Amino acid sequence: MPKDQEQVKPRPTPRANKYVATDRFWQGTEDRELLLQYCPDTKQYQHYPRPVSIYTGKRNLEWRKVAGTGTIYAATIVRVPGPGMDGRLPLSVVTVELDEGVRILGNVLNAAPETVAIGQRVELAWDAISNDIAYPAFNLVEA
Amino acid sequence: MVIAGYSETLVEFKSGRSAYDFAGEAFAGLLASTGVEKSVVDGLSVTVPLSECANPFFAVYMTEALGLSPTWLNYGGMGGCSATGGVARAMTAIREGQCEVAVVLSADAPSTNWAANYGAFRGEFQDPVGVLSPPAAFGLLMSRYEHQYGLNYEALAKISIAQRQGGLVNDNAFVKLKKQLTVEDYMNSRMIADPLRLLDCVMFCDGGNAFLVTSAAKAKELGIEKTVRPTAYAEVTNFKGADPVADITETGFSVLAPKVFAKSGLGPKDINSFHPYDDFTIAVMMQLEDFGFCAKGQGSDYVMATDLGRHGDLPLNTGGGQLSAGQPGLASGGLNLAEAVRQMFGEAGERQIAKTQNALVTGIGVIPYARNWGTSTAMILEAS
Repeated sequence: MPKDQEQVKPRPTPRANKYVATDRFWQGTEDRELLLQYCPDTKQYQHYPRPVSIYTGKRNLEWRKVAGTGTIYAATIVRVPGPGMDGRLPLSVVTVELDEGVRILGNVLNAAPETVAIGQRVELAWDAISNDIAYPAFNLVEA
Repeated sequence: MVIAGYSETLVEFKSGRSAYDFAGEAFAGLLASTGVEKSVVDGLSVTVPLSECANPFFAVYMTEALGLSPTWLNYGGMGGCSATGGVARAMTAIREGQCEVAVVLSADAPSTNWAANYGAFRGEFQDPVGVLSPPAAFGLLMSRYEHQYGLNYEALAKISIAQRQGGLVNDNAFVKLKKQLTVEDYMNSRMIADPLRLLDCVMFCDGGNAFLVTSAAKAKELGIEKTVRPTAYAEVTNFKGADPVADITETGFSVLAPKVFAKSGLGPKDINSFHPYDDFTIAVMMQLEDFGFCAKGQGSDYVMATDLGRHGDLPLNTGGGQLSAGQPGLASGGLNLAEAVRQMFGEAGERQIAKTQNALVTGIGVIPYARNWGTSTAMILEAS
């Protein structure tokens, strides 16, 4: 049951560069573009961002824009509260296998959680974490 | 090399006690049950606990708490794999002459004090999506398993119910979990992260356990009569970690099983009792498959056709496992190990099983990003 508006706490603000350099990812979100780490030596993407290429162990990494289209690989509906979950339950959480051959966790925004299923095609969407921050998410592509 | 003693505290919820206090109780209990003097202990393996992990020197503080001066100290950060992993590392250290008599100690009290902050990538890439806790990750894993192989929820209920029969007669089990369970109870338990229900999950509690590891000769010298031999051990962390599109229903156990069976010369049909790490029912089912008790994807049918009770075809987590005894934080990995040793020592009382020539014990540690689990361990124990 959604809580009253006044009880909804704002979602925690993700901070760039806490773990590895991620400014390019966050700059991309400002332009509504999804940029992921890319290993030019093996021509493979990796996500989440790492301090080295998980394929070579080298720090030769680039940020490249991906199309944001893919197929749902795993799907759940989170029904339990937690930080940043106020007013979002039940929440559709999916693992998307992007067409570039890398997986990313996300939320499906344009469908009732019960209708989201493995195998469905999705495209990039944007979820407003706050007035300033848009976070990559997905919409089901109508067949 | 042998496990020459075990000790376990009650599993409690919001006990108000610390990991040190549970560790002390488990340690004192181990000395009492084995008759070993504290001065003989020269090795210590300690599990990183959620409740004290803000202190990077917890293991050293523990030696002070217990009055030990070990010549070998291990601090195990593999979550639910730290107990079996600690035993394996203690065996290696003893073989290397770094110590002679080691205690493998796990204690945690996260339901009293949560001190963990996973940090890393999570604040940017996992938490905003709402994958805040293990159930969300296991909901995803379970959905994929169901998609590929089909899933009979009644089989998961049966796993819970079979283990509950052990928990009901386990004096150490968390008292509020000690009530009968039906298929209906399971089906009616609320969804946490579809298709994962409440009764698929462990309950986070407090508790501790300890094991004495030494050579067979030293155990004899110490006058210890009951021992078991860990005859095979294998572990893997971040299985297929550099495959961005790995099949997540394929787990580290798929490579550990052939190793421990080859090393011990046993096969799945020879296993007297199975003590798999049971943070979630689906993990138990996937391990039944990975260890070859049935084919991949046949877990539901196998469970429905098999008596998993203590007098059945394959006695499963006979003390209730974590599902029915409660999960004592990251001391979790020692819970099912203690039960396996207890059974092989013939000390399981009302729930004693008949065949105790061997047991298979596993560990699972850490939930990674969009995969299955971080570390897998498998250990075969055989009668001395």
